[in-house]
Amino acid sequence: MPMRSLWTITATALLASLCLITTPAAPRAQELNAHEFTTPLDIRMGERLFQQQCGRCHGIDAGGGELGPDLTSGYRTVSTDAGLFDIIRNGLPNSQMIGISRASTDQSVWMVVSYLNSLNETPDVNLPGNATNGEQLFAGKGNCSSCHMVNGQGGRRGQDLSRVGERRDPDELRSDLQNPDEEVPPRWWTLRVTRQDGSVVQGLRMGEDTFSMRIMDADENLWSFAKDSVQSYERITASTMPATGRTLTSSELDDLIAYLYSLRREES
Amino acid sequence: MQRLTIGLALLIAAVPVHGQESESTPGSTPLFSPVTWERLVNAADEPENWLMYSGTLDSQHYSGLDQVHNRNVGELELKWAYQIPQLDRSETVPVVVDGVMFITEAPSNVVAVDAETGLQYWRYNHELPDDLRICCGRNNRGVAILGDTLYMSTLDAHLVAIDARSGNLLWNAETADHRAGYSKTAAPLIVKDQVVTGIAGGEFGIRGFVDSYDAASGDRAWRAWTIPGPDHPDNQTWAGDSWRTGGSASWITGSYDPDLDLVYWGTGNPGPDWNGDVRLGDNLYSDSALALNGTTGNMEWYFQFTPWDVHDWDAIQVPILADLEIDGEMRKLMMWANRNAFYYTLDRETGEFLVGKPFAKQTWAEGLDSNGRPIRAPNKLPTPEGNIVSPPVGGGTNWFSPAYSPRTELFYVQAYDGEDIFYKRDEDYVEGDQFTGGGSQRPLPIENYQSAIRAIDPRTGDIRWEYEIQPRSTAGIMTTAGDLVFSGSVDGFFYALDAVSGEELWHINLGRRIHTAPMSYSVNGKQHVTVAAGNVVYTFALNE
Repeated sequence: MPMRSLWTITATALLASLCLITTPAAPRAQELNAHEFTTPLDIRMGERLFQQQCGRCHGIDAGGGELGPDLTSGYRTVSTDAGLFDIIRNGLPNSQMIGISRASTDQSVWMVVSYLNSLNETPDVNLPGNATNGEQLFAGKGNCSSCHMVNGQGGRRGQDLSRVGERRDPDELRSDLQNPDEEVPPRWWTLRVTRQDGSVVQGLRMGEDTFSMRIMDADENLWSFAKDSVQSYERITASTMPATGRTLTSSELDDLIAYLYSLRREES
Repeated sequence: MQRLTIGLALLIAAVPVHGQESESTPGSTPLFSPVTWERLVNAADEPENWLMYSGTLDSQHYSGLDQVHNRNVGELELKWAYQIPQLDRSETVPVVVDGVMFITEAPSNVVAVDAETGLQYWRYNHELPDDLRICCGRNNRGVAILGDTLYMSTLDAHLVAIDARSGNLLWNAETADHRAGYSKTAAPLIVKDQVVTGIAGGEFGIRGFVDSYDAASGDRAWRAWTIPGPDHPDNQTWAGDSWRTGGSASWITGSYDPDLDLVYWGTGNPGPDWNGDVRLGDNLYSDSALALNGTTGNMEWYFQFTPWDVHDWDAIQVPILADLEIDGEMRKLMMWANRNAFYYTLDRETGEFLVGKPFAKQTWAEGLDSNGRPIRAPNKLPTPEGNIVSPPVGGGTNWFSPAYSPRTELFYVQAYDGEDIFYKRDEDYVEGDQFTGGGSQRPLPIENYQSAIRAIDPRTGDIRWEYEIQPRSTAGIMTTAGDLVFSGSVDGFFYALDAVSGEELWHINLGRRIHTAPMSYSVNGKQHVTVAAGNVVYTFALNE
């Protein structure tokens, strides 16, 4: 072995030994799953670091951006704090998600974890309504289940509400029920298509691009149209959902909200 | 610097063997011949090749091939696909030389494949450190070639020279310290025997520059700072010491006029991006077009599109050069659709402002004055609470290539009519950390906004036609002698329009976002059209 290589190995070994002696063992992410950095100040510090280091891809409020997904409605690839820490620290291999700056300490990464968790937490609130009554209203007087599924039961013409409690708070649910036209995601717009023979097909906007449209009509039939094969088409951005909240009594509305807010992923 | 110098000069002096005969039988002649400077200057004369990022030194992104034209484009069919082994969306524009295609990949790799089959000759994987500072993805947009050598930027802010026949590394030059936030993503530009290259890092408080390196040795020939130092009067356009961390990166490939010996290069946003309070002044030469002497790097003129930018509207667009008659006089022009949503025609000899009009939705300016300087609208600056402004951070357009057709004399740009809420934050500079001073957020779901390809008359700035893209596009554009405009969309459609009328002629769903520009070449007499979608490079040709 050349002397230079021998010297390199020896020096490296010495340096490694020195590091072992002088550097306190850094806690592994997995060991810090129940980490300590969860105070309001930690969350604010985490928010600041997120805005600086992550906001360009994920949006300044983590609501999603040009490159990065929305981080306020659960995470795509992790289910634990340690997993989230690992992705923020090291990135996702072979993808555009790179790790946070090496200059950021583990402590500050945990603060980002806490900040993101704070965006995904549903507040523990005492609601006036009765969720059991609300479940009966959902299938009964409210007629919600004719369009919405919960855990595989119900209609297809509205959003699946099996985990709606994780993404909408009680005030938002009340607004959804009373003023459904106020905030209609483009997926739930309506496309009204006039074919060459003048007949009309109308349905929920499942997909639309420069060249084509895909819709579901009121009978839950799926349709696909090339835009250049139809006479015309029109986007209707109003909701197809009735203002159910206005047809219920105040206490019934509370019950329905309590039920909807209880719909979460079942704890494993 | 690691340097394994080869006798590049000998190769340049060798008798050039131009593109293979168009009617030759496959396998009858060897592929690839050295690319001399003369070949690059006259690249338009060999349309069977695509010899640089923008096709030609004037960056028109125009192919002289016309075998595929506006009457038969509907017969295009897939010939081959090359799968990039990384998941990142590709931003590459391949280079093709005499039947060999060079494709760059994330993070900083390049492969050579047979341009007729997509099958690999060799691969070069660049070793990267694990402490990269990059703002916006592990991107690489392409290579430059001179002689037998490829030149590529790498994410650790190096410029590497690679043997085009074997993939072996020839030299590896560090252009800046990646730990301070510098990186490199753009294809270099060959100018005579030099490799001209920019730098990225505008979100990390770098000080930008454009560099030129000796192609044979990798030694730096000149550096043009994009922020003047304190010995220059224009340094006064930066408050205090803000010039030291003022960004003004140069992260897209420029153009070159051999007759004027001028290199044209765009510069990026001043930093911190959204908080201009700490850098009051025009912040020269951020958000500008620079005209640099091709031999010395000295600045001949500049034109600043967005003085004191606080919305991150980089002037990082490929400058398109063309000569046109205006008011009875032939003018050497530069065409530029800027991220700030205004289109400009400049005189490229002098930098004189000739034409300027909005080409996409904008609410930030009441117009341009007679010198092309924007007249700002009130109350359109970022605030702590957020302020809605058009165009959004991504701009009325962005870095992806526009195109020009000498046949239609129209300029084609991917325009976006959007908006963002702009926020301002206080932020301290820490070397190697992002230094942006705020951020942005869309006020509405993205489906509420859309793109359009707009064909602009460079003499007037008027929009001649537009083709709406639903939902939107971040793809570059290629025009051809077959009077076609090729481009793509974020949902993976690749399409061809009639260059004269804007009529849609052909489309195919490639399944993932097209985030780069198409290019075209010919092998064995057959025209091919290539584009990357997602992490796959697709190549099309007419049905046999």
